[in-house]
Amino acid sequence: MTTPQGEVYDLGYRHYEGPREGRLRAHKALWVDGMRTVLGIGRGWGSKVLPVVLFICVITPALVAAIIASVSGLPGVEFFRHEEYYAIVLIIVALFAAIMAPELLCPDRRDGVMGLYLVRPLTRTDYVVARWFAFFSITLVFVLAGQVVLFAGLLLAAAEPLDYVRENWLDVPRFLLAGLALAAFTTTVPLAVSAFTTRRAYATAFVVAVFIITPVVSGALTASECTTVTTVESGSSTTVTECDYATGDAAKWLSLINVLGVPTLVNDLIFPGEVFEGSQDASGELHDTVPVAWYLAIVAGLGYTLWWRYRRMPV
Amino acid sequence: MQPLLEAKDLTKRYGSVVALDSASFQVSSGITGLLGQNGAGKSTAIKLFLGLLQPTAGAAEVMGRLPYESPEARGRLGYMPEHDCLPRSVAATEFLIHMAQISGLPPAQARTRAADILRLVGLDEERYRSIGQYSTGMVQRVKLAQALVHDPVLALLDEPTAGLDPGGREKMLELVARIGREFGISILLSTHLMGDVESICDRIIVLDAGRVMEQGEVSGYTQETATLYIDVDDRKEELVAALAARGVEASEEGRALVVQEASEEQYDEIRDAIVEVGARLRRLAPRRHGLADIFRGGAS
Repeated sequence: MTTPQGEVYDLGYRHYEGPREGRLRAHKALWVDGMRTVLGIGRGWGSKVLPVVLFICVITPALVAAIIASVSGLPGVEFFRHEEYYAIVLIIVALFAAIMAPELLCPDRRDGVMGLYLVRPLTRTDYVVARWFAFFSITLVFVLAGQVVLFAGLLLAAAEPLDYVRENWLDVPRFLLAGLALAAFTTTVPLAVSAFTTRRAYATAFVVAVFIITPVVSGALTASECTTVTTVESGSSTTVTECDYATGDAAKWLSLINVLGVPTLVNDLIFPGEVFEGSQDASGELHDTVPVAWYLAIVAGLGYTLWWRYRRMPV
Repeated sequence: MQPLLEAKDLTKRYGSVVALDSASFQVSSGITGLLGQNGAGKSTAIKLFLGLLQPTAGAAEVMGRLPYESPEARGRLGYMPEHDCLPRSVAATEFLIHMAQISGLPPAQARTRAADILRLVGLDEERYRSIGQYSTGMVQRVKLAQALVHDPVLALLDEPTAGLDPGGREKMLELVARIGREFGISILLSTHLMGDVESICDRIIVLDAGRVMEQGEVSGYTQETATLYIDVDDRKEELVAALAARGVEASEEGRALVVQEASEEQYDEIRDAIVEVGARLRRLAPRRHGLADIFRGGAS
């Protein structure tokens, strides 16, 4: 019996005769690649650390609230509810957006990859839309995960889960809608900024500055009277500054300068009734259409800026 | 037969600077060289055919269609830019799979094509390393591979030998020649190096200051001339004297002797003179035109 022996054949070059799915496939590929980039998939471990850490940070408050509610078993024991969750994690979501969004746009231009994309069956608009949706998709999962955990926790804590669902089912479409609004906002702002620089660090620094400085400016302009009280107890001193916020017409409008607060205003309109203390300020006295119009103006305006920038960008 | 690319009175201006000035030429199948000095308009012409720029006047057609209006037309072109164009943090194999999908290939087919093309351009185990760790030669191969991964009809290669050492340049040219001849993918090779065009191109388009200076078959520019080239290792002076004694006028040119307008009868005289002086003959052949003659106005 002879032993079969392997042979190596040089097949040379073979032409591709399979399907070509055009722009739709290109669009999908950019979307998937964008999500992989944000999550650090296909890259070194270093790229995965930050999204994982921030995800843990954003979900922890909901997880703790859900555990306390379900373990305590006492009706009415709640850390916070759905309407308060986004305001609590807002700074983490903003930080995530400021750090991760530039990763989607800046390297493509810095490394010259844009030139390779645009000579393929893909338009500039396709590129911008696919990248926007990639970051939007990740951010949406990022913000909704905590709400889902919280809902599950509150459901488990309820003595009569069916009754809980019957009484609170409206929370689900509300946190979905508010989540969409928050994700669209925290996607559009940093991406629009990233379209103007090839350096990720610059884009991140600028977005962080906008998110940090505008609430401070808004607070300073609308605070009519602040008092600082220092108390000394057991050798340690504690300083607390308390401000009375102006309630005049000018103050209402000035409060809108706080860019980071805009999605929270929309959140408060989606969840009617009592709102989280931290999100209340002078703008709460504005007519409902004003925060919504301001939100839409920011998202649409910066979205258009992003698209316009890529339409005109030399490659 | 419809040309793959056709420039019709193609003009591109950047403000007051004219990059291309009513250039008209065609690129058909095979390997075509686009030759010109830096600033001659080569890269502008390529970007116009790829739809990255729009012409100021005239048209740049890809298989009868306008690339900036037709993403599908662009889908059958491959492009290897001169400048850096690769992400540093991903592996070549990941990048090629991605680019194949951007060209419209489904994921499974994209993976197969990426593996095949990386093997064909000579990247084996390195394909799994981040591109940021590659040498210049390897980067050029990945740039070439991404231009071929979707099996284009025509690949536009902008200075593919830029930055390579002589050995790397030779290998790259061999690879480009193989792609054009064995793979059946037509090539438009943009270069400022005449040697690149002479060694692998079938046709040539010469651009100078945005205008088409010459175009035609490379063989037409490298035909034999009536000048005879005699390369001997030694005894050059004795040979010149022996040739003069036989009525053949030879002059020194570089390390060889040349006889202008050599007739067939003179070949015998030259042979006898070489034997007489005992010079060691290295080469005796009619001289060919070089592409350099185009720029000296010497091509016939």
